[in-house]
Amino acid sequence: MPMAFGIGLGVSGLLLGLGIIGFVIRAMSDGFGAHGPWGYYAAIFSFIFMVTGAAPLAASIFRVTKSHWRRPLTRVSELFSLIGIFNILLFIPLMFVLPAFRNPNLTPLAENELDLRRTIWFEVPIGATAPQWLDLLGIACLALCALVILWLSAVPDMAQARLQATGFRRSFYGVLAGHWHGTKSQWLNQKAGLALLGAFYFMLLVFMQFTISSDYAQSLIPGWKDSIFPVIYTLTGFQSSLGLMLVILFVLRRWGGYKNYIGISLFWSASKILLGLTLLWVYHMFAFGITYWYGRLEVEQNILKYLLFQSYGWLFLANLIFSFFLPFLTLLWNPVRRSDWGPALAGVFVLIGAFLFSWRIFVGAFNAGDVYNIGLEHVPAFVGPDLWDVLIVLGGLGGAVFIYLLGSRLIPMMCVWEIKEGAMYQHMGTFMRGRYLVLAKPE
Amino acid sequence: MQEGRVLPAKEINRDLLRSILTTPNWYWVTVAIMAIIVLGAMSAAGLMINKGMGMTGLNRPVMWGFFIVNFVFWIGISHAGVMLSAILRLSKAEWRRPATRAAEVLTVFSLMTAVMMPLIHTGRPWRLVYWVYTLPFVPYDFARGIWPNIRSPLVWDPSAIFTYLTSSILFVMVALIPDMAVLRDRTTGIRHQAYALMAMGWQGTPRQWKLQIISGILLSALILPVFVSVHSIVSWDFGMAVAVKSWHSTIFAPYFVVGAVHSGVSAVVFVMILLRWIYGWENYIRHEHIDALGRLLIVVATGWFYFFVMEVIFGFYGREADEIAVREFQFTQPPWNLWFIFFTGLTYFLPVSLWLFKWTRRNLWIMSIACISVNIGMWLERFLIIVPGLAQKQMFTFTWYTYAPSAVEITIIGGTFAMVTLLMLLFSKVLPLIPLYDIKEGDMLKTEIKIGRATVPAVFRED
Amino acid sequence: MVTQRVDHKWGMVIDLDRCTGCQACVVACQSENNLPINTKDLFLQRRAYEWIRIERYWEGEFPDVKARFIPILCQHCENAPCEPVCPVFATYHNDEGLNVQVYNRCVGTRYCANNCPYQVRFFNYWEPVWPERLRNHLNPDVTVRSRGIMEKCSFCIQRIRRAEVTVERRERSNLDYATMKKRNFLPACVSACPTNALNFADQADDSGPVKEYFDDVNEHPHGEAHDRKTRGYRLLEEMGTKPNVIYLKKVDPFPLRKGVGHGS
Repeated sequence: MPMAFGIGLGVSGLLLGLGIIGFVIRAMSDGFGAHGPWGYYAAIFSFIFMVTGAAPLAASIFRVTKSHWRRPLTRVSELFSLIGIFNILLFIPLMFVLPAFRNPNLTPLAENELDLRRTIWFEVPIGATAPQWLDLLGIACLALCALVILWLSAVPDMAQARLQATGFRRSFYGVLAGHWHGTKSQWLNQKAGLALLGAFYFMLLVFMQFTISSDYAQSLIPGWKDSIFPVIYTLTGFQSSLGLMLVILFVLRRWGGYKNYIGISLFWSASKILLGLTLLWVYHMFAFGITYWYGRLEVEQNILKYLLFQSYGWLFLANLIFSFFLPFLTLLWNPVRRSDWGPALAGVFVLIGAFLFSWRIFVGAFNAGDVYNIGLEHVPAFVGPDLWDVLIVLGGLGGAVFIYLLGSRLIPMMCVWEIKEGAMYQHMGTFMRGRYLVLAKPE
Repeated sequence: MQEGRVLPAKEINRDLLRSILTTPNWYWVTVAIMAIIVLGAMSAAGLMINKGMGMTGLNRPVMWGFFIVNFVFWIGISHAGVMLSAILRLSKAEWRRPATRAAEVLTVFSLMTAVMMPLIHTGRPWRLVYWVYTLPFVPYDFARGIWPNIRSPLVWDPSAIFTYLTSSILFVMVALIPDMAVLRDRTTGIRHQAYALMAMGWQGTPRQWKLQIISGILLSALILPVFVSVHSIVSWDFGMAVAVKSWHSTIFAPYFVVGAVHSGVSAVVFVMILLRWIYGWENYIRHEHIDALGRLLIVVATGWFYFFVMEVIFGFYGREADEIAVREFQFTQPPWNLWFIFFTGLTYFLPVSLWLFKWTRRNLWIMSIACISVNIGMWLERFLIIVPGLAQKQMFTFTWYTYAPSAVEITIIGGTFAMVTLLMLLFSKVLPLIPLYDIKEGDMLKTEIKIGRATVPAVFRED
Repeated sequence: MVTQRVDHKWGMVIDLDRCTGCQACVVACQSENNLPINTKDLFLQRRAYEWIRIERYWEGEFPDVKARFIPILCQHCENAPCEPVCPVFATYHNDEGLNVQVYNRCVGTRYCANNCPYQVRFFNYWEPVWPERLRNHLNPDVTVRSRGIMEKCSFCIQRIRRAEVTVERRERSNLDYATMKKRNFLPACVSACPTNALNFADQADDSGPVKEYFDDVNEHPHGEAHDRKTRGYRLLEEMGTKPNVIYLKKVDPFPLRKGVGHGS
């Protein structure tokens, strides 16, 4: 394998190892009783879940909209399904740290406390069906669905590859490719399957982002009743995953040898969508901010001070800069959007912004004091990371990269059949003395 | 665009200009009826301004009723224009072509109608102009240096709406220039002079086309933030209120915007089906357009439903007694619970189940029913957001009451519908409701590709 | 303008233990402030209004039923939700702690009424009409409002102004509670109350009846309400509107059950 790839694999594997060490030490020293020390763990879980969960969507959505430029992007996005399993493993420790719904200090109930803390589950799951199990089930279904999408999309390529591969890969591809012969009905079934599974995945993902953001962030800060937060969380996920894919495609185009397959039209079109998502993100943040700020209600003002202006104020400012100002100023210019490095740079910014967002929200949520209060009475302080938190964060990032790189050795990063189909449907034609793209519209 | 044949330009001109150059009998009858309804509504409004707001069904605590529902409804309909002509133009969807003009014009007229509603619903409308906006839409401090209160959402409203109105009118006018030129060349006398003035010397040179297209793209991109902000600001009329708990939800802004796109696009689909039937435009508004619009509507409707469910769930999430009381009122007490069931069925479940299947999407009767049901449902949605929250505000149950509209209100609401119809009819007499050059451009860009033994339709594109 | 101006901060204390629900305050307010007559038509349309109203809540089941009365009037909130939403600045907070309504500026959008959690703002749906024989009872110090205008309790600002002009500026003496009471400068409802349930004075006036309650409630904001020494509380305290009206909890020697209704 090429040297750079080997280094990447080695470094990410090392980081993953460090992360495991950090996790073990955290578990041994703090245990799973209180949720406070696990803030940074939740933040990195949220970041990875947000980005890698939304990534397979790009393939499905752009297939449904029949965007002709999507073809190099689809497999890059579908490969993130492999990280779904990592998401399940990462989530499991979080199941044990979630505080119970019932207030343990029931007698006597203080004047400013609730007997049952707020939940999106309408107080139904107490005990065995507690939300953490439902969340786990949801994440597992997501991972499974994404893997099936990946498999369905990869079947024609693996059928092709089993003819050329040897050894373990030959049998591996053979098993996964099944009885694929490329008949018309097989192609139609594959297409229908991808469309249906894509729609289902989209809906399940949006639902899971609603539940995770509510169970592990919103319901842990007393008095934070915010209907737009799941939407902001979802949007940050979409924005950052598109950004990540632009970064990967840039790397592949420049140094991966795929220059002939990844055209500028992909960057040109996808960057418009990234710009739109960036604007949508700041619009939703503004809607939240102005609604909370306007009424001068004490609880809402305290939450604004906590998450936006005082305790995590500098982090919010950095979040705003990286998630909005920098990508916006980058993507505003036509020449920048028409290049390959421009959208990739914007992608780096939004990824950093999404990480800062997860950090701010989840560390803030996990350290907001007594969760059974009716509302935030005092503004809690900022909680910084210690060494084990840093290791955990690095480990999460490293683990995700490690799995993705390994996956790319098994399944080709360009979707061969899709690119061939694209080549069939497009060519250059002459129109009124100019050379333009001729795009077939078979439907 | 695969299904139609490519028509020669002469035939396109003749078909699409038929509504302007000739007038069938039913036209004047319909215009007369609409004008009578509008006059009736205007006299009802005059009576109400003369006698007092007591002519409506408003009371304490429901101080906002049908008029505000109607206001939000028409602002919602106005979102179709930008969705269909701006967003679909920027994403280069070919199937937008027949819809753009009708959508943009519906936007302008529904905005104008919407603006009238807050004017007549105030207690002293003659003062409104004096205090808030004086010279054409310019705030001026008349007395003692007191400007309008920019902290009030009711001042953000006209700022946003007039910006949207101005940019929409600009959008329509710029897109109309080539068509004005076609009409200029086919009329005589005073009509010729009017069209010549509006066509601004259009000759169809390559440079003029280039400028036309660039300005179209620029306007499309610039109008997008306005489009999102208008309905967000209208939603903040409710979102900024702290006393009405069910209004104080952070999600109102995107919820209303998506709802507006939902009702607006459905309205445009209905208008297009009507136009196709009235003017015999089967070659231009084809089943495939309605099919594609139906598929877009599934996505928009599901997005709307997601926001709606979020709003309801977080309403219960807060576990505040007053908010839960309002929701229980809506869900359990007749007749509100019936309205609620109607509303969810008409807005989402009925239309989306109709839009899921190709044969229903291609059946124009079914599509008309689906689109009308969406608009009835969305009207009910605004009603159910505004009135129950006010009727049972806070836990002072002694002051809880209800609301029923009066005849004056219903007349005025009906008048707004008649007004928009009337304006659309008058417009169709003067200018074509399907953009000629858009259709011709679409036809020119069509070509074919041979793939193996199959010949597949294709288009020329820049990227 | 005036030179020697004394800064007042007006406050009202309502003792629920003393309120009998007799509605004398309602009638007094109606005659003092030129409120329209409550006719049968207006009542049935639910457009009649009272700037101060007695809300009556039933507690318990027959035969163990109790009626609870609470007079509700404009709370003159420091953090009033009605003020930021008026597009024409027809309502604002003056420096004496009153939320004032400027009748001639109001255009009648009614957003302020929607945003008032206590529902104490009233809109003139009709042009008020007084029969010929009642016209002489109209108070010349108070504007008569036409249709389309929002109005509400003003703490009888006409009496307060008259007090300030007469006592502070013309007579150059101190406007304390005793003076206000003796010379009829207190709001009409306060003067009319037979049981002294309503009390009104400058919040800083040592001789006045309201200071100790305001000091107590301000010292222990809602988070530590159980630390308060008096029976004082504010309506909808958790909303943070900071009303200038304090209610005193009813002392109930025969409670039905705990934790029901306002302040029991």
